[in-house]
Amino acid sequence: MMERWVVVARIAVRNVRRQLRRSVLTSSAMVLGIALLMFVRALEGGAHLMYVDTATRMGTGHIAMEHPDYIGSQDVEDRIAGADLDRAVQAVRASAGPDELVAVFPRVNVGGLAQSASSSIPVRIGGVDPTLERDVSFFADKVVEGRYLEPDDRLEAIIGAGVAERLRLELGSRLVLMAAGSGGELESQLVLVTGIFRTGVPEVDRGVVQLPLATAREWLELGDDATSVSVILSADRRTEAIASAIRQRLDQAGVAPEGLAVRPWWEAMPDLHAGLRADAVQTYIMLLILLAIVALAVVNSILMAVLNRTREFGVLRALGLNRRSVGGMVMAEGLILTLASGLAGMLLGLAISVGLFRDGVDISFLFGGDVAFAGAVVDPVIPPAILASDVIAIISIVVAMGILATLYPAWQATRIEPAEAMKTDE
Amino acid sequence: MTPHPNGDGPHPAVDTHELWKIFGEGSTAVHAVQNVSIAIEPGEFVALCGPSGSGKTTLVNLIGGLTDPTRGTVRVDGRDVGAMSERARAQLRLERIGFVFQAYNLLPVLSALENAEFPLMLRGAGREERRREVSKLFEHIGLGGLEDRRPGALSGGQQQRVAVARAVLGAPALVLADEPTANLDTQASDNLLEVMEVLNRERGVTFIFCTHDPRVMRRARRIIRLVDGHVERDAEKEPGTLPDWVLEPVDT
Repeated sequence: MMERWVVVARIAVRNVRRQLRRSVLTSSAMVLGIALLMFVRALEGGAHLMYVDTATRMGTGHIAMEHPDYIGSQDVEDRIAGADLDRAVQAVRASAGPDELVAVFPRVNVGGLAQSASSSIPVRIGGVDPTLERDVSFFADKVVEGRYLEPDDRLEAIIGAGVAERLRLELGSRLVLMAAGSGGELESQLVLVTGIFRTGVPEVDRGVVQLPLATAREWLELGDDATSVSVILSADRRTEAIASAIRQRLDQAGVAPEGLAVRPWWEAMPDLHAGLRADAVQTYIMLLILLAIVALAVVNSILMAVLNRTREFGVLRALGLNRRSVGGMVMAEGLILTLASGLAGMLLGLAISVGLFRDGVDISFLFGGDVAFAGAVVDPVIPPAILASDVIAIISIVVAMGILATLYPAWQATRIEPAEAMKTDE
Repeated sequence: MTPHPNGDGPHPAVDTHELWKIFGEGSTAVHAVQNVSIAIEPGEFVALCGPSGSGKTTLVNLIGGLTDPTRGTVRVDGRDVGAMSERARAQLRLERIGFVFQAYNLLPVLSALENAEFPLMLRGAGREERRREVSKLFEHIGLGGLEDRRPGALSGGQQQRVAVARAVLGAPALVLADEPTANLDTQASDNLLEVMEVLNRERGVTFIFCTHDPRVMRRARRIIRLVDGHVERDAEKEPGTLPDWVLEPVDT
């Protein structure tokens, strides 16, 4: 039995080689299609990694920890107590390896009003620790005037370029922030504009103000408390596992889940996550339509090969090969062709992605600057990234294409009647 | 009735009963085989003769299970070929029947040697055994040294010899040969026919030839003459002789 399939496979391989020109022409469409799919997904994957990176560095982190009630209320009353904050930081350090953990920092985030001499607007106020955040903060990279916060700052603040425009502020201007403090009373704080940032995300630039964490705590009478703890990791790969470990440790310490919700970024930023997924699905649908057209060409080519070899299949049947083996031979030929094309396409896609465009693809000509997406922003020079999930998806697509494109020609081959095929009736 | 050494019991090697094959319908119907009832015993060496279009190839295809009868039955080794599943029929062809086709029908992607050993490979014979049998036969029928050539690099006669080698290797119970000596010169024909006679004599292989070739008919021990799908005459004869009626023109 095994011997039979070895013979069938040998004939299939030689038939592919025998029709080399046809095989190459058929496979070239597929090679290009798969290479395109690989490259586009690599580019999109690279962009998505950058979106996640910037979104997490805007303050949410790869893992965000807040009081469960704060998620809905955004009220400082629903904050993390200082003691729990320490336990949370300890749990983070115990759960993530030193190579994995880039930063862990507490934050005070509160909604309030920013008022200048000319106007007042609603803003999102962030109390940040410059010592802990300086190296990872996305805002630190995006300061276009003045400077980012320093550890010794007290009344200094950085504001978005949109905030500066709307309130007619410039470096050194005074600004009054108002928000509800721990007692529920409206508290105000005077700060000086020491830096102006421009992230490229309009809602951020028009509505974010940051001041030192210590100042925010004092102003809002929060003591050592904070509204959130953010964890920045060196890579997104282990976010889920590390979040689980933190959750487990905090659970054992009696903090989570009642006192602290530990959420990976995709739960903390569902809009971004849904946006990235929709983007990927859209790309796959578009490219699958393209590949379906390619598959039709492959079906046509294999079918023509079967019809041209009707006599040969008749002989095989006459010599004792059953219908299943004849169908298997056509399937093997089609699969050899499609799998080899798929592999070549993936290698070509890989070569283009990490060889030709290793330093990134500049798409600024499409957007005229930074690219904002679902509240995150990326540099327009996108380094392609090959994700394991994409490689698995593309391999599955290639195998499915191979099987689907070969089924009909194989079925046709099984229907060939030996005597008819050989046309030897007298 | 002598049982074939490879056979299951004392059945005729081939037995047809009121066999009909009609192509098409109504006014365009072609009656290729009409009411043919013959029994061929194991070890017979039979020539089917008759003018072109007399139904020889169709009869051989019916016996080999390559086409279904319109009416009647065909039994090979006592088994009703028409009632067998496609799979069982393929297995029967593989294990019991060797075919030589009119147009060689070699597989273009296989070498001469691989073509010849193809049925043996499908039967699961070991490589050594296959190569030994092929080499011996190739030497005998003048194909020595051509083992690695693809069919495209062989002459018509050489291809025909490879096709015959493919049919007889492994000594199947029955060999159905459609014009096996067409395209062969006298020497090559004689060599091939000798091989077949040896297999017939020593291993009891039953041979049924469709042929116009007097050399084949002379060696046959029984001749069945078909005309318009009917058996016009069916007679045993002495090997080496050629009855006059064999080559008589059809009486119109």
